[in-house]
Amino acid sequence: MRTLLGGRTARDLMVVVVLVFGVGSIAMLLAHVSPLDGFGALFDGAFGTREEVAETLVQTTNLLFPALGIAIAFRAGLFNIGAEGQLVLGGFAAGWLGAQVPLPAVLAVPMVLIAGTLAGGAWGAIPGFLRARYGANEVIATLMLNVIAVLLATYLVNGPLALPGSGASETPTLPHAAQLGDLVANSRLTWAFPIALVLAFALRWLLQRTVFGYELRAAGDAPEAAKRAGIDLGRTALIAMTLSGAMAGLGGATIVAGELHRFNTGLSPGYGFIAIAVALVGNLDPLWIIVAAFAFGVLQSGGIAMQAEAGVPRDVVSLVTGLVIIALAGRRVVATRRTT
Amino acid sequence: MQAVDGVDLELFPGEIHALVGENGAGKSTLAAIAYGAVRPDEGTVTAAGVVGLVHQHFKLIERLRVWENVLLNREPRRGLTIDTGAARERVRALGEAYGLRVDPDAVVETLPVGIKQRVELLRELDREPAVLLLDEPTASLAPGEIASFFATVAGLAARGTAILVVTHKLAEVIAYSARVTVMRAGAVVARHRTSDTSADQIAREMVGGEVPAVAARADRPVEPLLEARGFSAVSGTSELIDATFTVGAGEIVGIAGIEGNGQSALADALAGVIAFTGALSLAGTPLRPDEGPAGRLQRGVRVIPQDRRREALVLDWNVRDNAVLGRQRVIPFARYGETARELIARFDVRPPNLDAIVGMLSGGNQQKIVVGRALAGAPALIVAYQPTRGIDIGAAILVQSRLIEARNAGAGVLLISFELDEIFACADRVLVLAQGRIAGEFTHETIDRGRIGSLMAGRT
Repeated sequence: MRTLLGGRTARDLMVVVVLVFGVGSIAMLLAHVSPLDGFGALFDGAFGTREEVAETLVQTTNLLFPALGIAIAFRAGLFNIGAEGQLVLGGFAAGWLGAQVPLPAVLAVPMVLIAGTLAGGAWGAIPGFLRARYGANEVIATLMLNVIAVLLATYLVNGPLALPGSGASETPTLPHAAQLGDLVANSRLTWAFPIALVLAFALRWLLQRTVFGYELRAAGDAPEAAKRAGIDLGRTALIAMTLSGAMAGLGGATIVAGELHRFNTGLSPGYGFIAIAVALVGNLDPLWIIVAAFAFGVLQSGGIAMQAEAGVPRDVVSLVTGLVIIALAGRRVVATRRTT
Repeated sequence: MQAVDGVDLELFPGEIHALVGENGAGKSTLAAIAYGAVRPDEGTVTAAGVVGLVHQHFKLIERLRVWENVLLNREPRRGLTIDTGAARERVRALGEAYGLRVDPDAVVETLPVGIKQRVELLRELDREPAVLLLDEPTASLAPGEIASFFATVAGLAARGTAILVVTHKLAEVIAYSARVTVMRAGAVVARHRTSDTSADQIAREMVGGEVPAVAARADRPVEPLLEARGFSAVSGTSELIDATFTVGAGEIVGIAGIEGNGQSALADALAGVIAFTGALSLAGTPLRPDEGPAGRLQRGVRVIPQDRRREALVLDWNVRDNAVLGRQRVIPFARYGETARELIARFDVRPPNLDAIVGMLSGGNQQKIVVGRALAGAPALIVAYQPTRGIDIGAAILVQSRLIEARNAGAGVLLISFELDEIFACADRVLVLAQGRIAGEFTHETIDRGRIGSLMAGRT
């Protein structure tokens, strides 16, 4: 369906615009706020100052990593909704290891990011393996693993790895050498943003310009034909889910190394779930996903200002995001299930 | 899209009228309009009574009993419940009256296809139609069953029902119809009294010119290639039992049989999609049951699957990417486009456009891609399962000719087809598959149509 309907991406973006402004306006009217004031506050919050623009890009980055991961799984025909858990565990691995091992910056930052990537990848590999080996439904597996990941990280930072004398659910602060450098002063925007952009281009190249990408897309778009063409569907599922988790895990590591400078169990306000909407609005095309991540980044960073300045509950943003997922994901899941 | 344009068709009581044309000529659309399932943009349909339609693919509820299917939504009632006694009796009486005997209490999924078709027919007859439309009614019948089916239909016509048979089998048109209407590209191109025309003339009218001939089989030596001994496999409901046969390099072996007699298991096991028991060897080296499709492709075994849309093509992809599927690791990525261009030229794929989305192509052009890539790169063994199903005559002749040319060049070809004419046109030897077993073998010289027909129907 993706390539069959050329105007799909544009149409999906239209759906988002209609939902955001239509449903957003209705919700604002119900809260007795003029939509003009509400959206004014939202855009002002997202773009008003240099620092606010930077924060918008921070939100874009935080959504981009898991969205790219989700896209690669979806392209392989796997509905990975476990990005949240993969991101949390990636962040945990980065925060814990970064605080344990003192290294110079040239080594510390890569180590932290690689630790997050590997942890997320391992967490993604579990449902990939279960699917490849036992045919287990990856939707159920990834959904449940989200809960396990968060509880596991919470247990570790409060139990065996708890800071002596601290009640907070977090790891020690990262040494300066293990922190990602800022791009804009007085902001949380770091090198994670360009890394995410490069990753998007790399993923696009992998999917469109390599035999590996060709086989992965074949497995997703026509599993029966792919199998008969000698493509090992189980192996493809395992690799796709591992890569998917790795990207979400890398995202978690950049949040820890760049924004929080420690792992905290509350590091994600649901990036892994919002990223599902981002990936779908971006039509599972890495370059369009950059655009979609930016759009949702605006909503995320502007939503706070909207609540503070116009008195519109921030939940309006969650409401709109949820509707986008239902509108776009519902249709895609139905299409996927029919063909398998 | 305009499927049917300004067509006039008149059916008369007591007459069997044949509607013929290639795939996509608009026959089925016309039948659907006559039935009322499709609303015409312009024009009218009038009938002197109820119109019934028997579908090519049966629309029966498999889990229900015969009487429940026949009387669905017209059940005789007793108060709030169904009068099951009366219902059974009504179906039994209906069967007696039309010579379509069937046990009203049998569950449909347990019945063979020929009987299922009777159920389908009875369901329409219960509505006492003035007009009965039959869409490819003999597609899943054995040759012997076809004659008795048309005897029944002739009986209906004799009682005053107007009958329209939509078909592509010209032999049946000539043998059983009184009038014939030929369609091409959505329009009627000829009408005949059947007695005034011939199968050759109708074929020319369907194609819009001379029907090209199939490539000639060159005389050549046959060397041993595929050897199967005690070969058994199960694929879903399809079962192949204890088959022993050979396919030589340089010959086409046809597998004749009615759909559902083990063909799918045979094709899938050779493709490596399912496991098998027994012994298979290719050019003296065993084929392992667990090597999978990748292993078979490496050994030079290429399978043209029955369901090209699901099993062979990625419909959302363009021609370029589909043209290399199965050889994606053999051909360098940078040469995908070049490979596709060669296929387009050799198989006359239309439109000749690398970026055309395959799902948008006609069935014939889709099949040219599937066959073209299976024949590329000098394969050892080609398994062609219904390679011309649902494609137009021109494309079918091209596909058959390319298979024969591959055989002439030294490939072994196993041609599994439900169309006897196709097998007779292409095969050097014929094996008959019935109830999962090989029931007989014929060489090109000893082919006996009647004998093959009765073996196919399970008689010995």
